[in-house]
Amino acid sequence: MIDLGRQMRDFVVVAILAILIATCAFVVVRNTELTSHQIALADRAIDTIHDSRAPSAHAVVVGPATASRKHPFLRKRQVFDRGIWRPLTDKQLYDMATRYERQGEIAELTADGRGLVVRCIDQPGLPSSRSCTSIAIAITEPAKPAPYPFLVLIGVLGLGAAIAAAGALIGRAGRAGMFAAIAVLAVPTMLWHAWIAASAILLLGGAVALAQRVALTDRIAAALVKNRTALSFLAPAAIAMFVLVATPFFIGIVLGFYDHHAGRWSFVGLSNFTEILSGSGRALDDPLNFWFILGVTVLWTIANVALHVTIGVSLALALSRKWIFGRGIFRMLFILPWAIPNYITALMWKGMFDEQYGAMNLMLHKAGFSGASWFHHWATSFGANVATNTWLGFPFMMVVALGALETIPKELYEAADVDGASAWQRFRHITLPHLRPALGPAVALGSIWTFNMFNVIYLVSAGKPNNSTNILVTDAYRWAFERNESYGMAAAYGTIIFLILLLWTVFGTRIVRSKEDA
Amino acid sequence: MKRRPRLLTMVATYAALIVLVCVVLYPVLLVCKKAFEPGRTLSTSISPVPATFTGQHFVDLFTSSSRGELTFLRHTLNSVVAALATTVVGVVLSCTAAYALSRFRFPGRKLGLTTFLVVQMFPATLLLLPLYVVLDRLGLLNSLVGLVLVYSTTAIPFCVWTLKGYFDTLPRELEEAARIDGASQWMVFRRIILPLARPGLSVTALFSFMTAWNEFIMASTFMTDESKYTLPVLIQSSVGRFTQDWGFFAAGAVVTSIPVMIAFYVLQKYLVGGLTAGAVKG
Amino acid sequence: MKLLVLLFALIACGEPRERGGVVLWHAYNGLERTALEETAARWNAEHPETPLTLIAVPYDSFADKLTSAVPHGNGPDLFIFNEDRIGSWAESGIIEPIEFWVDDALADRFTDQATRALAYRGSLWGLPVAVKSLVLYVRTDLVKQPPRTTNELLALAPAMKKRNGYALAYVNGNLYFHAPWLHGFGGSVMDDTGRLSISTAQAADAMAFARKLVADGVAPSEPESPMVATLFNEGKAATVISGPWFVTDIAKNTPWQVVTLPIVSETGKPAAPFLGVESILMSSQAHDKTAAFAVMSALTNDAAAITRAKVARQVVANPAAYADAAVARDPALHVFLAQLEQTVPTPKVPAMRTVWTPYENALGEVLAGRSTPSAALEKVVDEVKKFNK
Repeated sequence: MIDLGRQMRDFVVVAILAILIATCAFVVVRNTELTSHQIALADRAIDTIHDSRAPSAHAVVVGPATASRKHPFLRKRQVFDRGIWRPLTDKQLYDMATRYERQGEIAELTADGRGLVVRCIDQPGLPSSRSCTSIAIAITEPAKPAPYPFLVLIGVLGLGAAIAAAGALIGRAGRAGMFAAIAVLAVPTMLWHAWIAASAILLLGGAVALAQRVALTDRIAAALVKNRTALSFLAPAAIAMFVLVATPFFIGIVLGFYDHHAGRWSFVGLSNFTEILSGSGRALDDPLNFWFILGVTVLWTIANVALHVTIGVSLALALSRKWIFGRGIFRMLFILPWAIPNYITALMWKGMFDEQYGAMNLMLHKAGFSGASWFHHWATSFGANVATNTWLGFPFMMVVALGALETIPKELYEAADVDGASAWQRFRHITLPHLRPALGPAVALGSIWTFNMFNVIYLVSAGKPNNSTNILVTDAYRWAFERNESYGMAAAYGTIIFLILLLWTVFGTRIVRSKEDA
Repeated sequence: MKRRPRLLTMVATYAALIVLVCVVLYPVLLVCKKAFEPGRTLSTSISPVPATFTGQHFVDLFTSSSRGELTFLRHTLNSVVAALATTVVGVVLSCTAAYALSRFRFPGRKLGLTTFLVVQMFPATLLLLPLYVVLDRLGLLNSLVGLVLVYSTTAIPFCVWTLKGYFDTLPRELEEAARIDGASQWMVFRRIILPLARPGLSVTALFSFMTAWNEFIMASTFMTDESKYTLPVLIQSSVGRFTQDWGFFAAGAVVTSIPVMIAFYVLQKYLVGGLTAGAVKG
Repeated sequence: MKLLVLLFALIACGEPRERGGVVLWHAYNGLERTALEETAARWNAEHPETPLTLIAVPYDSFADKLTSAVPHGNGPDLFIFNEDRIGSWAESGIIEPIEFWVDDALADRFTDQATRALAYRGSLWGLPVAVKSLVLYVRTDLVKQPPRTTNELLALAPAMKKRNGYALAYVNGNLYFHAPWLHGFGGSVMDDTGRLSISTAQAADAMAFARKLVADGVAPSEPESPMVATLFNEGKAATVISGPWFVTDIAKNTPWQVVTLPIVSETGKPAAPFLGVESILMSSQAHDKTAAFAVMSALTNDAAAITRAKVARQVVANPAAYADAAVARDPALHVFLAQLEQTVPTPKVPAMRTVWTPYENALGEVLAGRSTPSAALEKVVDEVKKFNK
């Protein structure tokens, strides 16, 4: 038997979720019904004109356009109003008529809720053609969307609460009562024919009833109360993260299922994802093929991390030698690339690779070679990017390695000397095992930073030649903001990148770390 | 026993180090040189020393104006306000969460730690598009408020992780003593921990400020009006596709970078410790 | 706490109140911006109830920001841009057709050529501000007689080579600057029916000519605009093909003049650049369209045109402006006007937008000698087909 108070507690939490779902369903249904209602109204208005030729409240007949002789694009129209033809003075009607001539019949809901229907009205019985001489345009008043059904929802809320309470008080019917109560909340959505929402609410009810069976709800409530101080401390950041990160994140995933064209969104299901993952039907070496960019990104990451680690560790080894004079100064100078804001670094290096004035080509000229057009070939463009990123990335590895090297006890080296070990053996058996635990996380972090290094690619090579040096994140950016605002495509792209990163974070770092522990 | 290496090894090592230092310093010197050399294009000489000195670029930088307003100062103000606001939001919202993650054990703590770590690692550029759409609906495009909100998405996880690491190093005896004396957790936090944590808070604040100050792509995407640009966008647009004024760029780069570089040098030992500790323990 | 209040005050005061009035975006710098601001100030003085706000948006990102901002209602009411994107913008519903407000008298204010360039699919989409085309800039100290044919231009090369320079400098990797040769050899991007006709023998001839200029040392290989200006100013280029904006890049004390582009000796046809019409366009989401049109009309009336011609030396599309004494005295303006007769309108169909980049890739390949013109042009056709599938 379930305590009444606990039953009510569970019911309130689930009821709030159910109401939220029902509200979303209501908004969707309401919008669809509004559209069809308005359009039907407009259609009827046109039929009235058509049949009785009497002026209708919402529809007018617009005549053909007469063009000025001098300027063929300056045209005037006439409108049939109150039995006579007058010059048309309403720009909206004029534009609608022109739109009809370009694209045919129109039936849509405008942004401010008016129903808009444009049809040819001339010869009844004949198929409508683009060269219609009289055009009927109906624009209904903006309809007020149906009001939010407060009473209905309060009613089912009360009914549900009563059922849940009854279930709690009657012997073994507690869980059944809870499920029945939630099912009652699903009734309005069923009335609105919002089947997805209805099933979601029913599933929710079933889940809660099951949870009550294993006393899960009680345990959650108890945990919340027990840790309320901790949770209240956590709340501000958690709420901020939810609003600023989780919400856009989920919106991003959802947007991937839509297509965006000229300000309008339309649902396209998985088609964005299949388009991307199938390479958009292009060859494997075509920069618009997802797999090509993925390959470039992986190559980019591996090359950079390898260089960073090699250079960083070598420098750390060199600088950890006690006999080097001015170690502090060297260290400070080597950290310089890390200190400079990376967009400035990227622009600096872009200048150095400039074909006419860049330092690279100038030095090549001095050495007797001819300069290269760095950004016209994939290999040199990619190389320029790698050079830039290596320059700004190795200090991090160097500092990590230096820190690790400082923890190695001197006695180990001295013991090795006593044993007569060679330099290579010293490195392999003493230095390397101490470096690994620090380098492991550093490599993991570094690889993720390199994978996502937007600024260098965007600013140095800008994807040249022909978008082939783009990495995943810059390609996603271009889909969003440069290729005709394909927001849906960009969102799908972003979701795929996220999944790749997630896989790498979970599995890749585990592999890297297990190698050290081994 | 001190080992004296062979002379060859010493010479080779010094030589390698000096060569690498030159490689590291050369691009920086080129920019500094351009800042003092006249002309809008890069010079044709590879020497890192300016052939002729002029302060004209700096004068141009500070006196460039549009619509009666000094543009460079306007953009600096934009950058300062955005970075300050991000720092305040980041640190204020994060310090309580960091404290909770450091001191309390509760179900979901591990999940919380991992979430903050993972979010910190993912590129903000992935969220750029949904944030653009959301800000658009809220009418916050082309406004500093919107930009600060966006910057906070990266500031908060970072602040939480760094502050948590710092709180971990504070001894618990003081708090326990205060609790025994009957103080509430909130009072312990406010009266005891926060004053003790000033160094950690300052470091975190400075890092957040630097990150927001150096941020380029979001400012460039969300701001349309030239007067709302931050410094990175101004500097980048001076060497864009159609107009290139390398003198302006160099002067701007020098002026913008020096403060953050100094701050970076002061803080760099904290940065490495915080990052790797987080990755190791997380 | 005080810091927070100060912060929010700072943020708040940085947000100008823009609504209630007309907002216009432009990408002008220098004298052109001054001229625009003058005409805007005149409007604001005469119509204080409809304030006009000018916002400068950098050219690099202008079109992208426009297309993302307008559909969501965040864009400007009016903006100034070239007319070549009208087709794609009209199809996407970004701009508003304005012929409803325009009568013959208003249209007669401008040259036919300019207004026709702004017509698309039976509607008028903007009012012309200035017309642009490429002309030939000549250094009078290096060239006695400005070349009238391409052979005369090539004849300048030996003397310039002795001075380590070039007879001609222009941004040859860019289709816009290559167009004079393309049209001069009889080629085109689009044929009369509006279909793409990229891979033709004449287009290949034009590309071969451009390659010849580079291979023979007559012109440098793929310079960017700043480089072209430097070469001209340093006396390393005798002539330059560029547009009206180049005037501001010429260093003081450089003796120069403009002439119309030469005739292509091989075909006898004049080298004809694309005609660019900078115009004011209205956003389809403008808040008060009637007020916005009033601003449009005021900014393109004869008084405003005279201001722009005098202050910024823009080649305005109002014939009446050339009756003004100060304007009539400007020799460069007359050359620009004369060149207008030998221009080809920029194709406005949406497919045109996808032509630029592949064509420039092809030019890059041909100019570097890595590909033959016909092979490169075939590739362009392939690429364009892919983008428009």
